[in-house]
Formats: sequence, structure tokens, C-alpha cells
Amino acid sequence: MLDTYDKSRKKMLFGSAALLTLVLVVILAVKGSTGLQWIASGLTVGSIYALVAMGFSVIYSSTRVINFAQGEFSMLGGMLMYTFASSAGLPVPLAFIISVVIVSLLGAGFERLAVRRLRDSSVITVIIVTIGFSIFLRAVAKWIWGSEPVKIAAFSGEKPVRFLGAAVVPQSFWVFGFTALAVLLAFLFFNRTLIGKGMRAVAANPDAASLVGVSTSTSSLIAWTVAAALGAAAGIIIAPIRFAAYNVGTMLGLKGFAAAILGGLGSAPGAVVGGLTLGVLETITAGVFPSGYKDALAFLILILVLLAWPQGLLGRRQDVMT
Amino acid sequence: MEKPRGIAETHSYRTLLIVAAFILILPLWARAIPGDVLHMDIVNIMVLAGIYACAVMGLNLLIGYAGQISLGHSAFFGIGAYTTAILCTRYSWFPTWLGMILGAALSGLIGWLVGKPVLRLKGHYLAIATLGLGEIAFILFSQVKGLTGGTVGILNIPPLSIFGLSFDTDLKFFYLVWAIVLVIMLLTFNLVRSRVGRGLRALHSSEVTADAMGINTGSYKVKVFVWSAVLAGLGGALFAHFQLYINPESFVLTLSILFVTMVVIGGMGNLWGGIVGVVVLAFLPSIIQAFPEWIPGLPESLSNFNNYSLVLYGLLLMIFIIFMPKGIAYGLSRGTVFGKSTAGRLLDRIKAYRSTEK
Repeated sequence: MLDTYDKSRKKMLFGSAALLTLVLVVILAVKGSTGLQWIASGLTVGSIYALVAMGFSVIYSSTRVINFAQGEFSMLGGMLMYTFASSAGLPVPLAFIISVVIVSLLGAGFERLAVRRLRDSSVITVIIVTIGFSIFLRAVAKWIWGSEPVKIAAFSGEKPVRFLGAAVVPQSFWVFGFTALAVLLAFLFFNRTLIGKGMRAVAANPDAASLVGVSTSTSSLIAWTVAAALGAAAGIIIAPIRFAAYNVGTMLGLKGFAAAILGGLGSAPGAVVGGLTLGVLETITAGVFPSGYKDALAFLILILVLLAWPQGLLGRRQDVMT
Repeated sequence: MEKPRGIAETHSYRTLLIVAAFILILPLWARAIPGDVLHMDIVNIMVLAGIYACAVMGLNLLIGYAGQISLGHSAFFGIGAYTTAILCTRYSWFPTWLGMILGAALSGLIGWLVGKPVLRLKGHYLAIATLGLGEIAFILFSQVKGLTGGTVGILNIPPLSIFGLSFDTDLKFFYLVWAIVLVIMLLTFNLVRSRVGRGLRALHSSEVTADAMGINTGSYKVKVFVWSAVLAGLGGALFAHFQLYINPESFVLTLSILFVTMVVIGGMGNLWGGIVGVVVLAFLPSIIQAFPEWIPGLPESLSNFNNYSLVLYGLLLMIFIIFMPKGIAYGLSRGTVFGKSTAGRLLDRIKAYRSTEK
């Protein structure tokens, strides 16, 4: 969430976006409508990864902690949406808001009860607490909703939209729209509001921020709330495309984490570029190679990218230091 | 970063003897208790704990001393297990002890090959890279069907036998595994007291300073990583010969996370603490499972614990860390919970209780 106006990063951002576009054009040229289909579904999951990655980045910026329960926020969002929209029959926007608010409160509560108490402990200790939290949330979800995946109705019908030979489900447009909206809101929050600016100050230098009167404790609380809300929203809008189940959070969290690292931890544009890149990459490898190896290739490419650009595509060099 | 310290630094050899004595007599009393009292097989769980302890001791050096995280040690555990399992099931004449050594060696070799480039990364970047390696290994275990048997895995692995002595019962395996653990512990003591150990600690406090003092930080990191891979491979090989069957499900990300959790719960850089963490987490699921059995007359709805045992597991994990962030060993011996040492507080309680009784 730092240095959004940094010149070199802006260059990197445009560079990566250009590279991504180039890859997309090549695929389109080679594979035609199949390629378009891949890109559409790749960008859809990529948008979700981007939202989850933003959650990772927000928490990382304020507390230097990797939240291993981030994926569970998405899982809970989807399951709550199922309860409120499908079972209770509430209108979609209302169910959406209630679900997001509940998950946000959960994130805030965890910050107050666990993360804040450990503010003098090493980062890895806090990471293990988040792992405990993720096990806990997954088990609670399995207890409440059982282990069967549930289906949530798409926001505006299931009929695919035909577009140059590719079929795109309408929910994909909700995903794109929502991701764009979330990125815009996050940008406005971190660059235009006093609280957001304070949080960027804490991310840059917690001690200096404290000295000028920014509360690091409040920053951490808001970061966890915002991250939980982003995660929940991601889980809700993807639920109609992929099923919602108690165990979807693990993979989503893993991919979001990978996307955040790929784009450079702590960078909001990086999270978006990282998420979209990972999503498209994954869909292409799934299309070209045997599907069993899909994730292995995605991780291999991720490791190679990290070795070539250890700070991520858009991260700052000093972020690499522990 | 605070200097790693704890029981290991002060009374290590004495503690080693005490633990050895404890291990020696453990089966005597554990087997003497009738099965329907505890509802768990202590010796069996301790074997598993010993197997995990091999991997955790190496990881403790890597995390607690060198300050490098790995979320991919399930890969090395798996490489050790698959190497010996494949060799011993394909060639019936193949000595199982040699398979085990080769498993550990191959694990170390692969640790060196991947560690050299990957350890250039730091912190969370290292975490995700090692996590990726673990996932790749898992996918290879389940996809290279000709070698690993795919998702079914490898069945009928022969039990471990060393020079005619077959370790085919839990009890024999128990003594073998814990003897190995204690020997590794002895080696580790010598290691952390040597030049290498001091170098690692310097590396943990500040890599830049360590570099400036003439410590080859890169080579030190790779060496510890390889050593931890060897130990994880050894643990995996023992696991294969204990379970007698393996499949990819045993070597998932959860296992890597479990190893790191054992290190953190026990106390990073506290060598005996690591063992405490292993034993606590090895017993926790069984204790949670057996818990309702211990309370007679529990209503049916509450005694069906399967549904929410993981809820308790996650909750306890969080509570342990929130109240003992420096590890259980530290928390119990000299750490403070609410301002006073836990053990001291318990003693005070007991004294106060006794005085009111009188």
C-alpha cells in the first residue's frame, strides 16, 4: 500500500501490465477463441486472487504478519452468503452486506484478542497463531455447514454471454466489476482519507508514525477489518462460479499469498497484477499441460520469478529483508 | 531478535540423561495402565512423536538458530519415505537400513540442490518458495505413478531390520526411534556449541553483521538447510518403515506447517523445547479424542467429539501461543503468564490450597 506515486514502481507497473497484455495477445493469436476462453476464466479467478492478495498486503503493511487465515475469510464469506441468500432467502445485496460485516467483525475480534497481545513476539509466532485460527475457522465451518459443497445462485442468471466465440458466465462480469470497485475504494481510502494515510505512514515506519500521533494499534485493527472484508467479498462473488465449501479457503489463501508475493508484498497495484498474472498463468498451464501438473507448474514459475526478481514484480527492494 | 536460550544451554547433558531414563521406563508404566483408562496407546503415539522429532530438530536449527523459515519440509520427509519404500519393495533383498540411509542422503542432496538458489530469498519470500517446493513434491508424489504408485501409494513396505534384528513391534520401534532422537540431540548440542553454532546465532541476530565479521552466511544457511533436510528425510524413512504403507496424503502442506508449529509451540531455538512441542502436538489430537471418554455419563451429543475436535485443536493452538509466545518449555520453566512464572503460580496455588485445608 506504499509509494503509490513512486516513479520507478509506476514504470514497473506499466512494464508488467504491458508484459501481461503481450502474453494475452500472443495466446489470442495462437489459440483464437479457445485462448479467449482461457483468458476470460483466467482473469476471473485472477481477480479473486487479486482481492485475496490485497487482504494479505494490507495486513502485511501494517503488522508485517502473513495472515494464514486470509483464505478462511473468503470461505466464511461464501458460506454465510449461502445461509443468508440461499437458505434464509434475503435479497442478494442485503445478504452480501451482512456476510461481509460478520466476517469483518471476526477479523477485528481476532486482531484484538490474539494479534494485539502478541505485538512484542516474533513475526513467525503470530503467523502460527493465524494458522491456529485458520484450523479453528475451518473446523467451525465444517461443524456448522457440514462437508458437502453448496451452490449459490449467480447474481444475474447463469446464461453464458457469447463473445467472439468464447462463452463467459455473467458472474464473471460481477467479479471484474467488483474487483475494480474494491481496488478503487482501497486506493481512495489509502490516499485520500486521514486514517488511510496514517496507515501508510505506519507501514513505512511504525516508530516515526507513532511519534507524529498515528496509532499503530488502530492501524492494525483497521487493517485486519479491511482484509477480512476484502476476503469475504472475494469469497462471496466467486461462490456462484466455484462451489462454496468448508475447505475452499486453504487453496484460495495459498494462491492469494502467492499472488501477493508475485506482485510484491505490501503493494496494492502489485496485488492486482500478481493476482491476474497468476490466474491467467494457471488457466493456460491447465489447458496446455496434463491437469495433474497444473499447480506444480504454477509454483515452479512462481519460484523462478522470485529468484529472478526477489522483491516481486512491483515490490520495494528493502521488503525482501526480514 | 533475542538470543536463543533456554534449558538447552544450561543443563543439556543432565537433561539428556533424565530424558533417556524417562524414555527407558516409559513403556513400563504406559503399558501397565489398562487400555480403557486412557483410551490411547501412549507408546504408539510416542513412536510417531519420535519420528516427527527427527524432522523438528533439524527445522529448529534452521528456524531458531539460522533464522530461516521453511514451509516445505514435508517434501524432504516424503523423499526419505519414498526412497526407502521404493528400494525395499522393488528389491526384496535390499537391506532396509541402507534404504533408510539412502533416503536421508537423497533428501540431503535434493536439499542442497534446491537450497542453494532458494536460500538467497529471505523472510516471507523464502516461506512461499519453500511452500511451493513442498507442493511440487506432493504433486510429483501423486503424479509420477510408475515410481510412486500415484494416490494409492506404496503398500507392504518391509519392517526395518538391522543386522538380523527386526523392529516389527511398536515397543522395539519406540526404543529405536528415541535412541536415534537422543543421538541426534547429542550431535546437535555439539553443533550449536561449535564455531558453526556461534556463526549461526550471529547470522540470526544480523545477517549483515555476521557477513561483515567474516562468516560465510550463504554457505552456513545452505549447510543448515541440508542438515535439516537430511534429518527430515531420516524421519520420513522411519515413518515408512513404521507405517508399512505410504501415500501422498501423508506428505501434504499440513505436515510442513505441523513441523513449524511444533518448533514454535516448543520454543524456537530451544532444543529441548522443540521436543516438548513435538510431544504436546503429537498427543493433542488423541487427548481431544479421548477426552469425552474420561468423563463418565456425558450426554451422547457431547461425546461424539469427532465433529468438533479440530475446533478444540485450533483453539488450543491459539491459546498456547497467546499465553506462552516463547514456547511451552520456556513458559513452564521461567516464562511468565500474567506476571508470574506458570510453574511458580501453580505451586503457590497448591500451597494456598493446602493451608486452607488445614
